[in-house]
Amino acid sequence: MRSGNRAYRLQQTLNRVWTDRVLYLMLLPALIYFGIFRVWPMLNMRLAFYDYKAKGDWVFAGLKYFRMLFKSSAFTQILKNTLIISFMKYVLLFPAFVIFALLLNELRSNAFRKYVQVVSYLPHFLSWVVIAGIWTSFLAPNAQGGLNQIRALFGMDPVDLLTDKSAIRWVLFFSEGWRSLGWDSIIYFTAIIGISPDLYEAAALDGANRWNIIVHIILPALIKPMTTMFILNLGFFMSAGFDQVYNFSNASVLSVVDILDTYVNRVGIENAQYSISTAVSLIKGVVGMVLVFLTHVTSKKFTGEGVW
Amino acid sequence: MMKEKKTRYSLFQIVLMGTLLLLTLTMIVPLLHILARSLSDPTQSATMSGLDIIPKGFSLVNYKVLFSNENVVPSIYNSLFITAVGTVINILLTMLAAYALTRPNLVGKRILMVFFIIMMLFDPGIVPEYIVVRELKLMGSQWSVILSQAMNVYYLIVMMRYFESVPHSLYEAALLDGAGHFRILFKIVGPLSKAGIATLTMFYGVARWNEYYRSGIYISSIKKVPLQVILRKFVVDGDVTTLIGTQNLMDYNALAQIDYTALQYATIIVSIIPILLVYPLVLKFYTKNITAGGVKE
Repeated sequence: MRSGNRAYRLQQTLNRVWTDRVLYLMLLPALIYFGIFRVWPMLNMRLAFYDYKAKGDWVFAGLKYFRMLFKSSAFTQILKNTLIISFMKYVLLFPAFVIFALLLNELRSNAFRKYVQVVSYLPHFLSWVVIAGIWTSFLAPNAQGGLNQIRALFGMDPVDLLTDKSAIRWVLFFSEGWRSLGWDSIIYFTAIIGISPDLYEAAALDGANRWNIIVHIILPALIKPMTTMFILNLGFFMSAGFDQVYNFSNASVLSVVDILDTYVNRVGIENAQYSISTAVSLIKGVVGMVLVFLTHVTSKKFTGEGVW
Repeated sequence: MMKEKKTRYSLFQIVLMGTLLLLTLTMIVPLLHILARSLSDPTQSATMSGLDIIPKGFSLVNYKVLFSNENVVPSIYNSLFITAVGTVINILLTMLAAYALTRPNLVGKRILMVFFIIMMLFDPGIVPEYIVVRELKLMGSQWSVILSQAMNVYYLIVMMRYFESVPHSLYEAALLDGAGHFRILFKIVGPLSKAGIATLTMFYGVARWNEYYRSGIYISSIKKVPLQVILRKFVVDGDVTTLIGTQNLMDYNALAQIDYTALQYATIIVSIIPILLVYPLVLKFYTKNITAGGVKE
């Protein structure tokens, strides 16, 4: 009787699959794409445990490359750089987007708000190559650079931040903020304008001032998007934004901005040491995924909010 | 009492507007300076201040040098080709998958979504992908870049949100009328999600236009690379020889006064023109609701 039931249900499911066969056909291109350009590379990641051979089979090497990594001081340094840069970009900078959305909302002039939005969303669409060009121009070491012109107004000596080890991470921090301030605040601004006018009216009746309104009405409405963004940011923690770092790094500052992905690029692509760079990618991928998963589960448990 | 409160309030507004104005100036001034220096007379532009936004003298010589370069013009065509073909593939794959995944009671939807989310979260890294591209014999071809970036899961999820908001009754009525899924997608669900498709087309297009990393690795021939690769060579690596072109090096060295920095800036300007062209559309479709003004109150 039970097995008969199961067979019946299986039959029904198969019928539904057959009825929807066109839908599976529509999914096929996406599945083929991910199969070839994501799953296949994932399988290639076993290279981390093998010696690479251009012709013929790869030779099993066990944990050789991981041992090499953990013994080298280079790996500790790139891991440290990655975590520091990520912390600055994804934790320290995090409140800036919320504050920017709050400030936009406080503006009384709609025309001025629109102007600020139109200007501040634009940098998000520029490539990091272009942004590096713009910032290199602004930070030019000679007296002509925009920053040094401003410093001169205050009687300060010219500086060259792009080759200064103690400053370059802050250049990354500020250029990231410059690029994303407007765009990444959209999610919060949308949440703010979605707040029901009734809440404001009720608050006005209670005699609340702007500050009360921000603390008791607006910020609670931002918890959900903040949680989502924070978890997504953790997903980037092991990446630290390759495109930006790659375009801002130079020989003088490499030791403090060399991150996992720039290391993979230099060692794997430029020096063709496939196994060791794949080992780095594997560590990065696994840790990154675990981070997102753990935060998602923790957040679901304590706040009821997650990413999926 | 009332009056005092009003003055304090507008003082806050003035400080707020002043702060935000300064912030936007940090975005506008460097861009205008780059534009201004690229349009300046090269004999004078080398002494320009980084805060100057008015060209010193006026000359199109930087753009003439740029467009007479044997690599720059082809690279613009390469960029246009990769962007056009790549974006069409991106949007087609995304629409097809989003449509299928938003149909009711699709068997296996959960598993498929888990699969796509893993694809989004787990990045195998460049070397394992490089090996695949090589095994597929795509190395050196522009198709390596076009195909290896055929879809973005985040945009798939956004597209699904748009498709989900199409009223279900329309879909079911069309199904009862005997319309096939392709027909429903392109005649009903698609047209009703115009804003979403337009937005994602622009996002994909911008990403395609701005792509430089994989192009630099997979497409080795300078004749086939997109503009961003050339731009990176000039602006980030400071490779002036490629910028001037060995062939023309003599000619332009004769113009010894030429300001290389201004030439780099002209390249930056050329590369962001397409972005500036689609930007109003982004504002129109994606941020319309939040920039409309007067939404609140």
